[in-house]
Amino acid sequence: MTRLLQFRLFFRSFFLQAGWNFSKYQNIGLAFVMEPFLRTLYAKDEEALPSVLQRYLENFNTQPTMASFCFGALAKQEERLARAKTLTSYQQRLSEWNGIKRSLSITSASIGDRLFWGTLKPFTLLFALCIWLMLDLNFFETDIPGHFTYWEIFGAALTAFVTFNVIALFVKWQGISLSYFAENNGCFGLTRFDWNKTIYNAKRMGILFSVLLLLWGAYYFVHSLDEVFGLAFITRAVIVLFFVSISLITRDLRIPNMYVYLVAMLVFCMVCLF
Amino acid sequence: MMTVLLLCAVGAFLELDTTYAFQLTFSRGIIAGPLLGLLCGDVLTGLQIGIFTELLFIDMNPLGGMLPPSATVCCTLCLALCTLHIPVYFAFFFGVIGSILFSTAEIYMRKQRSNWVARQENLIRQRPAYLGSVIRQALACACIFTFVFMLVFAGLIGPAFAKLVPHLPEQLHAAGKFAYMAVPWIGLTTLISAFRLKTR
Repeated sequence: MTRLLQFRLFFRSFFLQAGWNFSKYQNIGLAFVMEPFLRTLYAKDEEALPSVLQRYLENFNTQPTMASFCFGALAKQEERLARAKTLTSYQQRLSEWNGIKRSLSITSASIGDRLFWGTLKPFTLLFALCIWLMLDLNFFETDIPGHFTYWEIFGAALTAFVTFNVIALFVKWQGISLSYFAENNGCFGLTRFDWNKTIYNAKRMGILFSVLLLLWGAYYFVHSLDEVFGLAFITRAVIVLFFVSISLITRDLRIPNMYVYLVAMLVFCMVCLF
Repeated sequence: MMTVLLLCAVGAFLELDTTYAFQLTFSRGIIAGPLLGLLCGDVLTGLQIGIFTELLFIDMNPLGGMLPPSATVCCTLCLALCTLHIPVYFAFFFGVIGSILFSTAEIYMRKQRSNWVARQENLIRQRPAYLGSVIRQALACACIFTFVFMLVFAGLIGPAFAKLVPHLPEQLHAAGKFAYMAVPWIGLTTLISAFRLKTR
C-alpha cells in the first residue's frame, strides 16, 4: 500500500458513518472507504469490482476511530484473495476474510468505545474544566462573573479538542498501516499498543482530576458567597448535596442524568408554585 | 430571527460531526457551545450552556445502536431561544427536551434510511462510482433534516414561550434557576463514576 493510497483511505474514513442505517450499519461507509484500494487492486479486472464491492456492502459496525485497523487488515486479506489461484484456496481465503471482518470489527469497537468514548472524552472535558477554573471562569454561577478574552474562553476548549484529536488521528493513521503490515501473530497490529494499560492509567488520572475539580468547585461555591453559613449558603449547599446524592443513586439505577434534571425542574416548579 | 436561522444552519453543519462525518469532536458541547455563542454575540452563555450540556449527557455514549441526545442540537436550541429573550435556565430546559426529541426523530430517520440504502446498494452494484454520490446525498439529507428540526422547534417554542415569560410568577424563575444551578453538580458526580476502575 502506497502512502497516497493510505492517505486516501485515511481521508475517506472520516465519512465511514455517512450512510449509517439500522439494517447494515456502516456498510455504505466501508465500501466508500475501501473503494480506492479496490480500484487499484482490480485495475486490470474492472468487471470484478461490483461483485467485490458487494462483500463490503454487507453488515459492518465498529467504532469509527478504531475502524482503521479493519481497513488495513481487510486490504491485506483482499490482496490474498485476489491472488488465489484455485477455487478451493479462494473459498478458504474468502471465509477467512469474512471471519476477520467480523471479529476485528467487534474487537476494535470494544477497545474504541472504552478508550475514546468512555475515557478520553470525559478526560479531555475534565482537563478543559480545570483550565477554565484556573482562569477564574466560574461556570457554576448562573451569570458568569468577570470579563474574559476569546483566548481564555476558547483556549481550554481548543486544548481539549487538540488533545483528543492528536490521539484519535494518530491511532486512525497508524491503524491502517499497522494492520496492513502486521505479521500473522500480531492480531492485525492491535497488540502494538497496550490498550488496557493506557485506559487504566487515563482513568486513574481522570479520578485525580475529578476530585480536584470537585474541591475546586466547592471552593468557588463558598468563595462566591458574601456570607458563609448564611441562608443563601445553606440553601445552595442543601441543593448541591441533594443532587450529588440523587445522581449517585440514579447512576446505580442506570437512570440518565438528563431525566434527573428534567424531573428536578418540574418538581421545583411545582414546589415553588404551591 | 436571522440569528436563529444562522444558528440552526451552523448547528446543523456541526451536528454532522456527531455521527455522519469527521468525528473530530467539534460537535461536543464545550466546543460547539462557545462557537455558537460567538454567532449570537454571547460567548460566555454559549460556553456555559456547552459545559452544562456536556456534563448532563456525559453518561450516555453512542455504543452500538444507542443514540444519545445531541449536545450540538441542545446548544443550538438553547442559544436560539436565548436570542428570542427567553432566560437561559428556561432555554436550557427546552434545549434538553428538544435534543431528546431529536434523538427520537433521528432513530426514525435511520430506520427510513435502511430502505433508501437498500435501493442505493443496487445502483452501487451497477456503477461503483456512484458511491461518492450516495455519501453526498446521505450527508445533505442529515444536514437538512437537522436544520429543519431545529428551526421548527425553535420557531414553535421560542415565540410562544417568549410571550409567556413576562407573565410567569417570580417563583417559577427561582425554580428554573435552582434546577439549572444543579446541572454541573449532577454531571460532575457522574464524571467521577465514569473513571471507575472496573477491570484492568
